[in-house]
Amino acid sequence: MKGWYHSWLAAIRIARRDAWRSKGRSILVLAMIAVPILGVSAIDVTLRSAELTPAQGLTREMGAADAILSEAGWGGGPIHQPPDPRFTGTEPVGGFEQYENKPMPEGHADVTKAIPAGAKVLTDTTAMSRLRTTHGLLDTELREIKAGDPMVTGAIVPTGGRFPEKAGEIAATDAFLKNSGLSVGSTLTARSLDTTFTVVGSYELPHALKTTQVIAPPGTFIAPLNKALEAQGLPSAGNHTSYLVSVGGEGFTWNMVKEANAKGVQVNSRAVILSPPPDSEVPYFQKNPRKTEELGSNRELLTIAATIVGMALLEVCLLAGPAFAVGARRSRRQLGLVGANGGDRRHIRAIVLSGGLVIGVAAAVVGTILGLLLTLALQPVLEGVMGKRFGTFTVQPLELLGIAAAAVITGLLAAIVPAVNASRQTPLASLTGRRGVRRANRVLPVLGLIAVALGVAIALYGATSSENILLVAGGSGIAELGVVALTPVLVGLFGRLGGWLPLSPRLALRDAVRNRGRTAPAVAAVLAAVAGTVAVATYAESQDAKQRAQYQAMLPHGSGKATTDEAGGRDVPAVRQAIQANISLDALADVQRIVIGSKTCTSYSEDKKCGTYDVFIPKANRCALHDPAKGPDAFTVAERRKLSKDWRCQVNEGGNTPQQGGVLVGDEKVLKALSITDPTLVNALKEGKAVSFDQTAFMNGKTGINVVTDQKKAEEARAANKEAPGKVHELPSVLAPKSVNGYGLQLLVPPSLAKSAGFTTVPFGVVFSTSALPSTEQKQALDGAIDKIGLNEGVVIEAGYVSENGIVLLALTVFAGLITIGAAGIATGLAQADAEADLKTLAAVGAPPRVRRALSGFQCGTVSFMGVVLGSAAGVLPAIALILSDRRTDAANMQEHLDMGWGTSGMANVDMPIVIPWETLGALIVVVPLGAALLAALVTRSRGALARREVG
Amino acid sequence: MSDQSRQPVLQLEQLTRVHGSGATEVHALRGVNLSVFPGELVAVMGPSGSGKSTLLTIAGGLDNPTSGKVVVEGTDITQVTRKELAALRRRSIGYVFQDYNLIPALTAAENVALPRELDGTSARKARVSALAALEEMGLSHLADRFPDEMSGGQQQRVAIARALVGDRRLVLADEPTGALDSETGESVLALLRSRCDAGAAGILVTHEPRFAAWADRVVFLRDGSVVDETIRTDAESLLAGSGTGTGGQAGAK
Repeated sequence: MKGWYHSWLAAIRIARRDAWRSKGRSILVLAMIAVPILGVSAIDVTLRSAELTPAQGLTREMGAADAILSEAGWGGGPIHQPPDPRFTGTEPVGGFEQYENKPMPEGHADVTKAIPAGAKVLTDTTAMSRLRTTHGLLDTELREIKAGDPMVTGAIVPTGGRFPEKAGEIAATDAFLKNSGLSVGSTLTARSLDTTFTVVGSYELPHALKTTQVIAPPGTFIAPLNKALEAQGLPSAGNHTSYLVSVGGEGFTWNMVKEANAKGVQVNSRAVILSPPPDSEVPYFQKNPRKTEELGSNRELLTIAATIVGMALLEVCLLAGPAFAVGARRSRRQLGLVGANGGDRRHIRAIVLSGGLVIGVAAAVVGTILGLLLTLALQPVLEGVMGKRFGTFTVQPLELLGIAAAAVITGLLAAIVPAVNASRQTPLASLTGRRGVRRANRVLPVLGLIAVALGVAIALYGATSSENILLVAGGSGIAELGVVALTPVLVGLFGRLGGWLPLSPRLALRDAVRNRGRTAPAVAAVLAAVAGTVAVATYAESQDAKQRAQYQAMLPHGSGKATTDEAGGRDVPAVRQAIQANISLDALADVQRIVIGSKTCTSYSEDKKCGTYDVFIPKANRCALHDPAKGPDAFTVAERRKLSKDWRCQVNEGGNTPQQGGVLVGDEKVLKALSITDPTLVNALKEGKAVSFDQTAFMNGKTGINVVTDQKKAEEARAANKEAPGKVHELPSVLAPKSVNGYGLQLLVPPSLAKSAGFTTVPFGVVFSTSALPSTEQKQALDGAIDKIGLNEGVVIEAGYVSENGIVLLALTVFAGLITIGAAGIATGLAQADAEADLKTLAAVGAPPRVRRALSGFQCGTVSFMGVVLGSAAGVLPAIALILSDRRTDAANMQEHLDMGWGTSGMANVDMPIVIPWETLGALIVVVPLGAALLAALVTRSRGALARREVG
Repeated sequence: MSDQSRQPVLQLEQLTRVHGSGATEVHALRGVNLSVFPGELVAVMGPSGSGKSTLLTIAGGLDNPTSGKVVVEGTDITQVTRKELAALRRRSIGYVFQDYNLIPALTAAENVALPRELDGTSARKARVSALAALEEMGLSHLADRFPDEMSGGQQQRVAIARALVGDRRLVLADEPTGALDSETGESVLALLRSRCDAGAAGILVTHEPRFAAWADRVVFLRDGSVVDETIRTDAESLLAGSGTGTGGQAGAK
């Protein structure tokens, strides 16, 4: 029986034993291929293991219960829900449209009425609060549930101690204990509540490991807390109750769900979610037909992922290719013997390709197994990072096979070129060890040239005439591949430089150029890595320059603020102290805000006792484009363009000056903290006049504040596009000149004026300025101090534009540098293997031993230099194309905003500049080749191995 | 002379080979005629650069003649495709070089089995025939040794076994004893002789008249031409009397 596979078996046997004989090289290549495989297979196993079956997911949500019932929130009226309402929610019977021009009805559904008779019920109530911990205050979810009940098994998993049983006891999630620095046995208090609680146990939520939550027995924590908050006039911590219900039998059926829906109750039923009724039985779907999954973004993601994987594969192939070429070169005599014994080109190719196959298979096995082991070993860490416990450790054999196949393909691809080259040598040339420069492949450069031309054309078209960024990326990619294919020719061009160089570099360069077959892949590997890095660096630096130019300071440089609208500003003194203690200040001003209703009212308070206010713009000063009743649609494009230049339509650019409704209460110190020195304004404040920073609000020496007290009527008016019914309080004021920037503040009211106008004010915070920007350490100390106080917002200090590119660019440069050194090292090893004869000749004519070192250093340097120079050129071009494309998009956006009458606020009219990242380029072109050369020279022995016959 | 009624295994007709062109032109062979019949061992002698090795590589199809015919087992190998030529090497022609004949990654048996395996025979069958060949030559104890576990003489004998495995009847040996001491060399040649006596045809390129004495015929090459041909003669006397002793001794050092 004869067959092609028998000769392949022989080839594989030779390749396998050869790989074993040259372990160092094999391990190097194996690692190059196996490491990405390891990573991808580990990710695959992790994602698959984290994926839960629907039943597992439900158990984590509702434990052993059959359903969770909760209020649907549509005013208690009947609702429709899909079988699985967890992600879609519900809608009131009759649809949302009925509420378009009127407020939602108020009222509550009584969930208990929807619970079937005889069912077992467990209430689950949650609220948000801040608990005092070792480090300060921690935002924590309060939960009241009988955690020891069997019904919660699987949803709440005890990890230590026991569950709380009586008032004053709580259990906490492991995440809470970790973040708070507390442990089982510690005590803690809630803000605004005097009771002390003891932590008696810990637990975890398998599906939300990062949640900071504490559990108390029902009625022992949330109700007393809310009572205390109410007594202090503070907003409630809220409470949301849902009901875990266990009905037995078939579980909570679809009919039962529909009954509950009629009572305004939403049901997450295990039975219904696991086996949903047909769509025809679901009224919800009649109004909201199921949407087919949108694949658009997925496809884009897939394209990007495929590109990255493709480039990574190419890179690994380019790096591993020369290693196979070394192998083929070293075993040249062996291949010659195979030829003499009747092996034809096919067999020689098979042997070298088998080298790739053997290493690829080994890398696949090693990578996959290590990936699995790594995932197993790191399971707790991975679960922590993902914030979810794995369901079951899931191994998807098909996916892992696919990933492993990528390793085999990579190995084969890397070995293709060396295999073809080896098979082209006649057995006689292989046997006699004659060197000889083979003519370079002539098809490849032509293909490369075509690819470059095509790629550049596509990228240019994308950059100048199309909106599609993929065209730029795709074109650049094609051009890049073309340059890789052109590398042998380009390397040849470098050879012309050789004439005037001293001996060692000349020899190195000539050798590299003469042996393009081994130089080109290494240069191409460097080229590809460097081109990517340079492209990203150029684009990032250019974008950085654009952002720097576009940057809008939110406060004057060196000014800062810290505010709190919680609990009537009770923390303001502590905040002021923290700031004074941590940074050196030039000016500090206390600021207040106006409150309508009670002192604890905030700007977005839903409390009906609280009113709102804002700076009043007289009708004559309003921009027609912003008329809520008409909107920009009422105008033609030409009108919109004209209106956008009207002074009334100039939008305030905004900023970080503390304000509420555009108004801030404070004295002339505020101006100092904002670096405003205009004496007119300072005097106005001293005289008890307000300062208006908004020309449209200012009229006849006065600026008005519109106060709305009836929120319900206001809401109705807004829904009908009408003005909210309010009362305008006019305050005498001075208009700040246009050169003065209020950074978002419209009206600064001195305290005396606020008082005389009848406004109630409460402390709001501070504004300050410093001429010495705090160091990172100072900022951290300050943030820590503010955190302890428990402020929602941190301290803001305007430090000008801060670029975030640094680390990324550095990492990219280091990455490209490592690839460069790796590729150049491999190519140098290859050159050394070939150059033994030359070195002997050199030694024979009296060259000192260091020539060997110098030669190897220069060989390494030459390869990296060529790769880096070509790569830099190849990388800058696509970045420029991308920038040009961005410029066009920006310009088009700008025009569209003007034409549509949306205004151009925040869209600085800056063309993206083209910035060449000289630092990165310098590091790559000078430092990396130099480093590579030195490294190679250092690791090369200056004395050759004892002359030895060429081993077959 | 051997049995004339049989067809020659190898027949070279008016073989010329020119390396390079212009200033670097070298005439390695100038119209060589040679036939080798089954059961015959022909020694090729001559000084360095006389064309011995070129003759051998062309006879085995590793190199192409500039003109002339090379007929192996009735096929003119100058007229076949590269693929057919490789197949011919697998099935009809065996090589033995001066040293490093064996593929280091394969055991002795696998080395012998290689031509048949490359030909598509299953590994098991190829191994059976390889073991048979080794057995026949008294080398079966070496079957599972790797080349670096064998002595030079053992390696050369395994190489001869490989050259004659299966249906192969032509063995081309290029100074097979060059790297061996004289005693080992004799044993290798004894094996080659015995294979030819068993029906194979062999060409032996050598410098040493002592080894040429094992041959049925000695062909003497000089500057690419056959200058003399002796049948079953004392090669040393031929060398001494031919007036070309200087070149012969230079080549034989």
